[in-house]
Amino acid sequence: MLNVVPVEDNMFASDVIANPYAYYGRLRDTDPVHWNETYALWVITRYDDLVWLTRHHELFSSAVFRNDPRPAYPAIDEADNPLYDYVRSYQGDQFIQHDRPEHLEMRRVMHSYFTPKSMEAWRPFVRDAVKELLDAAEAKGEMDVMRDLATPLPVLVIAQMMGVPPSERPYVRQLAEKLLYIGRGEYDRMKPLTEGMRGMIDYVSPMVDERIDNPGDDFISVLAQGEKRGIFSRHQVLVNTSLLLLAGHETTINLLCNGTLAFTRHPDQWELFKQDPEGRAKAATEECLRYDSPVISIQRIATEDVEMRGKVLRKSDRIRWFISPANRDPDAFPDPDTFDIERHPNQHVAFGSGTHHCLGATLARVEGQEVFKALAERFPNLRAQTEGLDYQPSITFRSLKALPVTWD
Amino acid sequence: MARKLKVWVDHQVCVGNAMCEAVAPKVFRLDDNRQSEVADPTAASEATILEAAENCPVSAIVVEDAETGERLFP
Repeated sequence: MLNVVPVEDNMFASDVIANPYAYYGRLRDTDPVHWNETYALWVITRYDDLVWLTRHHELFSSAVFRNDPRPAYPAIDEADNPLYDYVRSYQGDQFIQHDRPEHLEMRRVMHSYFTPKSMEAWRPFVRDAVKELLDAAEAKGEMDVMRDLATPLPVLVIAQMMGVPPSERPYVRQLAEKLLYIGRGEYDRMKPLTEGMRGMIDYVSPMVDERIDNPGDDFISVLAQGEKRGIFSRHQVLVNTSLLLLAGHETTINLLCNGTLAFTRHPDQWELFKQDPEGRAKAATEECLRYDSPVISIQRIATEDVEMRGKVLRKSDRIRWFISPANRDPDAFPDPDTFDIERHPNQHVAFGSGTHHCLGATLARVEGQEVFKALAERFPNLRAQTEGLDYQPSITFRSLKALPVTWD
Repeated sequence: MARKLKVWVDHQVCVGNAMCEAVAPKVFRLDDNRQSEVADPTAASEATILEAAENCPVSAIVVEDAETGERLFP
């Protein structure tokens, strides 16, 4: 018998990947707490539900990989099940895959490194890096924003924080690309994913060994201190170093590309922005975060039976909350599908909410502000080749494959 | 004698990260919306309250000298 997936429940369908706003927006407006039969999980799409859910962490566990014994979804090759076991043990050691009280203890090790005040100190480094990358692009006369700006910039910044030497940054990016298979649907994705995980562990191991003995002011030393204080095991230090290397750039890449695309598709907003890039950079970056959010959705597991909008989510049910439609919810944002760089207030949920609110939010903001500002100042008539744009087949990340731009 | 502080949380900004409550549990508590509110601005030292404010990931906590109105954070 043919196993036919109902179109309306296929989150990996090409039209859903190309435009998640139509599909998840329809769910938000007609069935905001939706049971997706195909993947056996709840799909949450309203803004107020997302905020409520993320702030009730005791009802919705983040320890997804340890609390969910069910097989991978979408299905994988059965021969790859041992690889999936490795993925579960690897992911399970990430601090974001923990609940309180462990999550709080782990987060506190790193939290003060990422405060708005400490991240502000990185702004000059970010600005110089942007300048260098745009100098190179200008000399070439064209640029793929993804390849030439959005990818190298955050990799450069997070590598600097971690003390990764410049010559090794391309290798780190190569490993990171394999780790991105986590949010994707390919039947044979376990092999590249686990290669990325094992590769990262092998790569960061000697660095961690070194920082345990000779701590510096870099971020790996911060994590190494967590091991000395008995909060992290060695494997957790390794996994979380890899996590920060990945999380520290993948999502920012999407902010930079999706934001640049939004600007080039809305010339009136680009004109408005160019009148005062310095003064408008903050509000404009928030609107980029809301309008085409870097992260599409994140998963939880119900810790008990919970009622939402008349439906009962059973204990241990899988729940995915969707940032993209929540940030376009007409009950939370007037004219939600309009890209408005002066929008105020703009309490979007691009970084989630609650105790798991994105650790790197301020860094992402600084990078977004500096990039959009520099683009407006240096390439005032920037145009994107917007025909035939392609997105990665992921329900986690809203990632373009490329974004070629030109200017006069 | 320690100076008196005026401390409040901007609910247009607070995301309920709850790090302030972890740093200064007697000063901050979560309301019904799981946003932070000030329970008692005298229940911790000025240094601890400023540490809580600095650790807010969205800078939602405002600290002032209650008598002079001087802004201490952000």
